[in-house]
Formats: sequence, structure tokens, C-alpha cells
Amino acid sequence: MLAVSPLRSNIKDEKKQGEMEGNFSMATTTTTDDVVFGDLSEGNLLESINFDELFVGIDIHGDVLPDLEMFGEFSVDVSTGEESSEMNSSAKSSKLENDQNVIATTSKKEEEEDKTSCNASGQDLGSNRGEEIVSERDESVVVNPAPKDGGKGRKSSSAQSKNNSSSNNNPQGKRKVKVDWTPELHRRFVQAVEQLGVDKAVPSRILEIMGIDCLTRHNIASHLQKYRSHRKHLLAREAEAASWSQRRQLCAGGGKREGSPWLAPTMGFPPMTPPMHHFRPLHVWGHPSMDQSFMHMWPKHLPNSPPLSWPPPAAPPQEPSFWHQLVPNALIPGTACFPQLLTPTRFGSPPVPGIPPHAMYKADHDIGLPGPLFDFYPSKECIDAAIGDVLSKPWLPLPIGLKAPALDSVMSELQRQGIPNIPPSSA
Amino acid sequence: MEDSSSSAAYIRLVHRLIEECILFNMSKEECMEALSKHANIKPVITSTVWKELEKENKEFFEAYTRSRAERASERETRQRIQSVVSDSSKERI
Repeated sequence: MLAVSPLRSNIKDEKKQGEMEGNFSMATTTTTDDVVFGDLSEGNLLESINFDELFVGIDIHGDVLPDLEMFGEFSVDVSTGEESSEMNSSAKSSKLENDQNVIATTSKKEEEEDKTSCNASGQDLGSNRGEEIVSERDESVVVNPAPKDGGKGRKSSSAQSKNNSSSNNNPQGKRKVKVDWTPELHRRFVQAVEQLGVDKAVPSRILEIMGIDCLTRHNIASHLQKYRSHRKHLLAREAEAASWSQRRQLCAGGGKREGSPWLAPTMGFPPMTPPMHHFRPLHVWGHPSMDQSFMHMWPKHLPNSPPLSWPPPAAPPQEPSFWHQLVPNALIPGTACFPQLLTPTRFGSPPVPGIPPHAMYKADHDIGLPGPLFDFYPSKECIDAAIGDVLSKPWLPLPIGLKAPALDSVMSELQRQGIPNIPPSSA
Repeated sequence: MEDSSSSAAYIRLVHRLIEECILFNMSKEECMEALSKHANIKPVITSTVWKELEKENKEFFEAYTRSRAERASERETRQRIQSVVSDSSKERI
């Protein structure tokens, strides 16, 4: 008996000892991961919490369990085996009430036992107790997936009850490590995907290209899935923006006055994709559950709200916030023509002269836009050009789309002024 | 009268031109001047159409006027500040 129990504990404990140092560092990571783990699968929520490891980490520093301080570092050879074993017993007895303490105690005790393998009596008692305790704990403590890769292999020897305390990490190997997709990591991911081609991108290949050890194929696969769905979403928006801008162009009367970039005829779909790429590397998908907020995250650098995530079309090489820039940039005197382009976008009115009144409400805050753009009288050339355009193309829709006055009313007013109307022969 | 359609067209034209001027953030007077100069439209016509538009689109014009006024005051304030700054820099104490 005496011989057997220490042996048994030795086998396991040796492994555990080796792990212990690792555990200490892992304990903290475990904690973090555990928190994150919660999202992975509801059923395993409990499993994700390895009290054992948590407390192991904590206890080592002797905070929670003052008694354990006496055990000192595990790596230190305990020459005074007797003392430790005695301490073990006493410690254990006091901890029997405290399940968590037991966990820590058990592991520690086992460590001690290992070191003091020569010791007989105390150890035996301790180990026996330990087994009991461990078995108790086993029922309450569930398997914990290994925090990172470290403990997985070593901890899988969960056959013995004693080992369960620290060996519960991922015995079934179901749990996947939560990957933190940092911007840098994501950028590499995107690079890899683009290199392969979005549709062709296979997780295993991506993994190869990225060449990061901590990532599993599964991590990549799920991230890829998210990425793809996000792209679809973005493309849909771009399409919408493209068609919307087309309509806008019409409203702006061709708007080719100064050939502003965003009025370029290339309203095609594909050109829009590249600019979006500018966004992607900048942002990271956070927690999987944050899917809804992606759209806001991606174009985060656009100062404005989500509607701006579809930047003015046909401005691929240009900054995504072109729209926004229209406002501050148009302070240049020479470019007083800008408002011509800007205003139509504000209203986005269909090419119909008559606009429902509610569209005018937009004018309330939107009309202020042309204002800040320039404080001076627009250049003559600009006005001339604009007016000329109107005169030459009477079929074009109204830029603002104000509600046209009743003809009769205008005519009567004009007659009152002494003008029979008709295009007057003299100016 | 066969003129009615052409009158209507003319008025539509003036309407459109006025909208363009609004895009340039002009006042009614400025608009009248511009249209007269560039499009040979009698200021009185411009003014009439403008007034009618204002009647039909009250809120728009209210907002328009307000924003113009704001801008003007902003400009004025800025100028005032600038003058104060330059004055103070010139001062020798």
C-alpha cells in the first residue's frame, strides 16, 4: 500500500510537476481564455472553467490559502519531507471544507509527495486523502480545455483521478483555443486570402501562408467564413451605393462641370471593391458575437455614420472619406462649383422636378453644407458654366428639386410686374 | 394662348437656374444679378419666380436663409477675431 500509492501519485505528479510551472503561467491565460471561451458553446461553459487551474495559479502566490505558502515553490526540492507531509495533512484537513482549496492542495500536496518520495507515513496519508479529495473534486470540476497548446498533451492523462485537477484540459480535444484576431493578424489573414483568391482560399492554404503556429485550421475556417459574409454585405452596400449615385448623377445634371472624380461614369461594381479593401485591414473582427457591429467597425475611420460606408462611387483610388472631404476641401475659392455636386447628393432626389415636401426637411441641415464651403461669391466662370449648362440642357432634372410654383400664380405675379412673359425679347 | 406652354417652359428654366444659384449659396439679389448677366433673364422675373418658389418651399428657404445668415455671422466673427489678433500683434506695450 505504502509503496503503491506514492508510486501512483508519482507517475502522475511527475507530469504535473513538469506542468506546474507551465500551469502557473497558464493559469492567468486560462482565466482570460475562459472568459472568452464562454461564447464558444453554451454547453461547455462550465467545462471551460477549470477551477483547478485557476486556483492553482492563485494559490501559488499564497494569497487565498495561507497554508500553502509553506509549501514554497514547487520546483524546489523539499528536503524536509516530513514537515511537508505533516503540513499536507493539516493543510488538507483544513481544506477539506473548502473545495477549491482542496484542489490546490491536492495538486500541491502531490507535488510535495513527489519530491519527498522517500517519506512514508505522511505521504501515504496525504496521498490517500488526496485521492479522496480529488475524486470528490472530479465530480464537481469539469474538464477544462487547455489554455493554449501547452498543457494539452500533458494533461490528457485523465485516467487517474488525481490528475484530473490539472489534466482536465481538453481531454476530448473538442475545445478550440480562442484566437484573438488582432489587426495585424487579420491583415495577414486578408493578405493570404487575397493571394489565394477569396473564393479559392482554403483554410489549410491560408494557414500555410500565414505561417502562424498558434492558429488551427479551424480558427482560420471560421474566420474565413465571417470574412466572406462580411464582404458580401459590403458588396451589397456598394451596389446599392453605385445605383444610388447613378441616380444622383442624373440629378446633378450630368455634373461634369469640372469632372469631379466621383461623377465619373464608371459606376460599375467591381471598381468599388478595391476601395473597400482599404478598410478591411484596418479593422478586426472582434468577438464573433460582434458580427452586427462589423459594419460599423470596418469603416471606422470614416468620421461619419454608417451611411458613409458606401463612399462616393468611382473614387476607388481616392480616400474612402471622399464624401466627407467634400465638405472641408471645398474651401478653395476656385472650386466653388463643388456645391453643385455636393448638394445633389444631399437630397438624392429622383430625376423628377417635383419633390415631396419631406425631402425638404433634409434641406434643413443639408443646405448648410454648401455654406461652409465658401464665404465668397462664386467665381464668374463657374456660375457661367452652370447657367450655360442649364440653358443648353433644359431636359435635365432640377438639382435641388424644389417644388415648382403654380404657373398661374407666377404669371399673374409677373403681369402685375408688367411683364407679359414669354421669353422676353429684351433682357 | 400659345404662349402658355412657352411661358411655362420659361418659368421652368428660371426655376432651374435659381436652383443652381442656390447651390452656389447665392442670395436672391445675387441670383437676380447672375441670371441677368449670364442668362439674360430680367431680374424682375428672377425675383418673381424666386418669391414663388419661396412660397411653395417655405421650409427650405427658411433653412437656406438661416444657414446663410449663420455663415455670414461666422465670417464676420472670424474677421473680427483676425483683426483683433493682428492689432494686438502690432501693439507695442
